[in-house]
Amino acid sequence: MHKRVYGAVALAGVTALALSACGGSSTPSASTAASTAAKATTAAAPAPATTGAPVRDAAVDLVIWCDQDRKPIIDKYAAAFGAEMSIKVAVQVSTDVRKDFKDATNAGKGPDVIVGAHDWLGELVQNQAVKPINLSAADQAKFPAEAMAAAKFNGQVYGVPYAVENIGIVRNTALAPDAPKTFEEMVTKGQALVKEGKATNAVLLTVSKTGDAYHSYPFLKAFGGGIFAQKDNGDYDATKVIVGSAESIQGGEQLAKLGKDGILSTNVDGGIVDQVFDAGKAPYAMTGPWAIDKAKKAGIKYAISPLPTIGGKQMTPFLGVQMFYVSAKAKNDAFAQEFVTKYVTKKDLQIDMYNIGKRPPALTEAYTQVAASDPDIKAWFEAGKGALPMPNIPAMNSVWGPLGQATADIIAQKATAADRLKAAQTEIEANIKKAG
Amino acid sequence: MTKSPWIVVKWVAITAALALLVWIGGKFAAAGSLWAVVGVSFIAMCVLAIYGTTRAVPMKYLFPGLFFLIALQIWPIVFTVMTSFTNYGDGHMGTKDESIKYLIAQTVKEVEGTPRYAMSVAVKAGGDVATGDITLLLTDPKDGATYAGTPNGLASLTDGVEKGPTGKITAATGYQILIAREVNARSKDLSDIVVPTEGGGIKTSGLSEAFVGKASLQYDAAADRLIDTATGKRYMPHNALWVPEDGQGQSLTSGWQENVGLRNYTDALTNETLRNGFVKILVWNLIFPLISVLSTFLLGMGFALLFNDDRIKGKGLWRSLLILPYALPGFVTALVWRQMFNQDQNFGLINKTFGMTIDWLGDPTWAKVAILITNLWLGFPYMFLICTGALQAVPTDVKEAAKIDGASGFRTIRSIIMPLVLVAVGPLLVASYAFNFNNFALIFLLTNGGPFEGNQTQVGSTDLLITYAFRLAIGGTTPNFGFAAAISMFIFVIVALISLQGFRRTASLEDVN
Repeated sequence: MHKRVYGAVALAGVTALALSACGGSSTPSASTAASTAAKATTAAAPAPATTGAPVRDAAVDLVIWCDQDRKPIIDKYAAAFGAEMSIKVAVQVSTDVRKDFKDATNAGKGPDVIVGAHDWLGELVQNQAVKPINLSAADQAKFPAEAMAAAKFNGQVYGVPYAVENIGIVRNTALAPDAPKTFEEMVTKGQALVKEGKATNAVLLTVSKTGDAYHSYPFLKAFGGGIFAQKDNGDYDATKVIVGSAESIQGGEQLAKLGKDGILSTNVDGGIVDQVFDAGKAPYAMTGPWAIDKAKKAGIKYAISPLPTIGGKQMTPFLGVQMFYVSAKAKNDAFAQEFVTKYVTKKDLQIDMYNIGKRPPALTEAYTQVAASDPDIKAWFEAGKGALPMPNIPAMNSVWGPLGQATADIIAQKATAADRLKAAQTEIEANIKKAG
Repeated sequence: MTKSPWIVVKWVAITAALALLVWIGGKFAAAGSLWAVVGVSFIAMCVLAIYGTTRAVPMKYLFPGLFFLIALQIWPIVFTVMTSFTNYGDGHMGTKDESIKYLIAQTVKEVEGTPRYAMSVAVKAGGDVATGDITLLLTDPKDGATYAGTPNGLASLTDGVEKGPTGKITAATGYQILIAREVNARSKDLSDIVVPTEGGGIKTSGLSEAFVGKASLQYDAAADRLIDTATGKRYMPHNALWVPEDGQGQSLTSGWQENVGLRNYTDALTNETLRNGFVKILVWNLIFPLISVLSTFLLGMGFALLFNDDRIKGKGLWRSLLILPYALPGFVTALVWRQMFNQDQNFGLINKTFGMTIDWLGDPTWAKVAILITNLWLGFPYMFLICTGALQAVPTDVKEAAKIDGASGFRTIRSIIMPLVLVAVGPLLVASYAFNFNNFALIFLLTNGGPFEGNQTQVGSTDLLITYAFRLAIGGTTPNFGFAAAISMFIFVIVALISLQGFRRTASLEDVN
């Protein structure tokens, strides 16, 4: 509070610009869904003092940006690629690849290749930051159709996937030995355990005061609702928002009921989901692979199963895909294309990446091998069957806030599902229109 | 000026400063920003003229302050004003030509049923690998036929052709084949090269493959329209975007940056949500810093008075403990408080301790209280610090005089100590108000502006103008920095006016001296 007044006055002027640095990163994504879950639990840990983008190493022939966790593996294959081509490859860590890449590429200082989530795609195309990859039809066939669909924008392939992720039901097998078939079954069983004093929460789901559209989507989808209608070719249609449709409202009514019964609560955020589940105080958590590591460390015996039915309808989650992109302004375009199309499609790379992130590999051949020895991976993959990719169109930026808050308000009984989802639809449509 | 060893030190310092500026200038020159280079040279000349001669002695003292004032205060303001007249933001980063080129490139698709050639990149024998005209040496994977491709077309190639295991040509008479690194060095040329064929054009992919691709978008320069050849749809430039001429469907993904004049300002003034939310948010935005400053000042001052008393033992320890909240990173504290404010007694320490069920972060009024409590915790140590400092500067003879005159303790504080303390801390209170006026981080971390009442997510109950502007322009939708800049100009004016008024008032406090 000791800023001199000039500082404070100027602050007003520059804050918007400084804050703009945080733009875009506030929306959940395949990868950030995990980090938001982790955020609250690590609240006490100081964040790194600097979050600046890495400075591009000018003396090398190929520059790759990724996050800290994946660097060792990418280093290994970058070195192999460098040896084959007799070039120097640099793998650099960025704390916020999405934002750093956008800014740096815009300033002509970006890397040649980035590793990121598929739902950044529309925004990156909008800002002329990435370019299509010419993956041959034969190579495309090595991946499941859903994963390839996630890597496409306007029918073009922009990335080579290496992992998929989605939410499912993680259960504490000491409290709930059997995989639930229906959500109602989970509620009954959970409530009984709460009554016995063995649990504090029947079912854990990230809601929070501002809501969480990613985790609430399966409820809407179960009844045929969702966010955007799909075009004939499977692309999401930004001009057809279905958040306020009758089908979505049916899902919203389920949320309202669960909120009323005290099963779901806006007091439960991502941090609390982990905290309670890892304390063994809840039989079920509707969460994703990012929760497993912590549960293991806490010594919880767990099992993973697909999302159940609700009101007799099958719930399906969003599919998130992790992939390698090539920059539209890559200084070393030929090497970048070569690395992404020839190396990322290797089985060994995909399996090594699995060892880091414990997500099912995207390459079918790699998945088959991993699934044979790791039941968790098989379970996650099964839970993701039939899932649609999270929309990667830029319009999705306009959805997270309004839809999240709508689900939170419905669960908190602040409004009826029908009113609240229709209001959210109006708001989302206005936001999309404003953005052009 | 007397000759002394200091003159050596002086010139070493000047040389070091100039060397630094030359280095910075070089960086800017490499980045191609002309105006930055001019600016740096101007600063370098100023340094030389001011410190190298004795002509401008006052300037020697003023220059560093002036320099940082311009670099860190004036320039950001100028930059913000400039940005506010543009549409700079997501989808509007580059030029119009860049958008045309990019959009067309995005539609290049492999033509179905065409071969995917094994490719080598070559120049004519004896040519320069770095600059010579490129020829693509192609092998059809089906029949092994070999071709030489140039922008003029495809020609059969058989002379002295040798092939590697993948079918890739490794040698051909009259051509020098580039090694991987040389190919990569020509990436830019390769991305431009197209070998025309019947179905489209052969384009390179990576180091060793080429495919027949065709763009489905075309630019009609005469009409200034982008045309989708597959559907016949025409797109015209409108508001820095390519919008469908018939008004049906979506605009193309990427637009360009342009000057929009006062549009961001008129948008802000005519925006219905902005207008509706503005008054409500402004009122809270005026109250929040006021209560924050008063509460932190009162608590800090109270502690300062307490620990300024000689009868207290172990003052140093107490003082250190009280400064602790100030020493912890503010955002960590805010997140910890957010957890403590959880309504559920299983998770929220505050409700658990007091046996309450208050929905701290979900109720509009309680959320405001929660924010004020957190800010009190964060802010009082600073007030304690400055008040302690100011108290120690109050001369003891004045206090003794008051005692002799028979003034009570409270009377002494009110009439003697407070006026003297306020002279010192008054301007800091104004500064503190201005800082809290834009206390983005606290609101963002604690409530994110919420709770949101009335089925919407635009206007939150604890929103400050700055968090509101952030959501409106950047957070909740496609980022639009031009619009954000325009709104921050409004905030700038409000803060400047309040601060000006505040300083005028505190100036009157100095009359007691």
